[in-house]
Amino acid sequence: MVQINLPENSRVIKGKYFKDKTGSKNLRKINIYRWDPSTREKPRIDTYEVDMDNCPSKVLDILNKIKNEIDPTIAYRRSCAHGVCGSCAMNMGGKNGLACTTPHAEIDGDINIYPLPHLKVKRDLIGDLDGLYKQYQSIEPWLKSNSKSESKEIFQSKKDRAKLDGAYECIMCACCSTSCPSYWWNGDKYLGPAVLLQAYRWIIDSRDEERQKRLKKVADELKLYRCHTILNCTSACPKGLNPAKAIAEIKKMLATANV
Amino acid sequence: MKNKEPLSPHIQIYSWHISSLVSISHRITGIINIISITLICLWASLLLFGESYYIIIDLFLSSLIGKFIILILTWSFSFQILSEIRHLIMDFGYGFELKTTKITGLLVIFGSIFLTVVLYLVGKNFI
Repeated sequence: MVQINLPENSRVIKGKYFKDKTGSKNLRKINIYRWDPSTREKPRIDTYEVDMDNCPSKVLDILNKIKNEIDPTIAYRRSCAHGVCGSCAMNMGGKNGLACTTPHAEIDGDINIYPLPHLKVKRDLIGDLDGLYKQYQSIEPWLKSNSKSESKEIFQSKKDRAKLDGAYECIMCACCSTSCPSYWWNGDKYLGPAVLLQAYRWIIDSRDEERQKRLKKVADELKLYRCHTILNCTSACPKGLNPAKAIAEIKKMLATANV
Repeated sequence: MKNKEPLSPHIQIYSWHISSLVSISHRITGIINIISITLICLWASLLLFGESYYIIIDLFLSSLIGKFIILILTWSFSFQILSEIRHLIMDFGYGFELKTTKITGLLVIFGSIFLTVVLYLVGKNFI
């Protein structure tokens, strides 16, 4: 069921204000969502004044600067800092993306940083992605071949390999799924763009032998057809992939093939 | 005691873009159209009871508010049909590139206004 308002315990209140101590003239206000599981307080927005003269270009650099120099209590996930691991996915300036590849110059005005939308918050900017990983597991994202000997390499033509382009690059950062309103309202049943892109990746893999079964499994009113081409997913993807098109391709396959 | 985990903000903070606007408008106009078609059918059924029933609603629709409602409905149907064509093309797997979706979305928005004006002028001058 669509619930527009946040539940009572999730309403965000105004938090602390950290005034600049460096005396810099080039300041920017950074508003960050904070929630501490050890207290019984509601989530709050803390505001930090950050000296931009001594800050590298990406949003993750701002977060690191705040954690190192202003407030060490702030919690967020990060690892590679090169847009490969997908750990630092969050909502910046109203749009999902990777903090390590999003330039702060692209965001106008104060920079608002929230966890990925519509997730249970573990702490500060860390959302709970368990549900998404379980759904990922449910599509069985591994090669299934029954007839061929497992000791031998399975050949694939260049043409068949090219079909995987635009699908295999996904780093499962969850930017797309958590940007999707359909996934917000039906996330318990609808698989969401990230998982459906991966479902597509295995359906079109020429080496996989369970194409029919995979298609049948995903052909479900709630699992697949909740996509209404809102296209938040495609516009959010930090790797420039197109989950919406992949979902449309699955729908097309189901409409044209005898499954 | 452990605090119950809050839900992170979603629609409150997520920024809108052309495709999401067209998508939600598609739904809203769809609901408006279903209701209005039902009412038009009921109006048509009322003809069975005689002329006076027809006249009451005719009077209402000829008033300023009535005309405004007709204009809104014209736009709503125009939007729905153009957006539906966009959906149809997407169902064939075309037009998913971000730039294309932006262009087709804008076409739907401005096209619906254009179509409303055209229908208004046609209705005013020829019917």
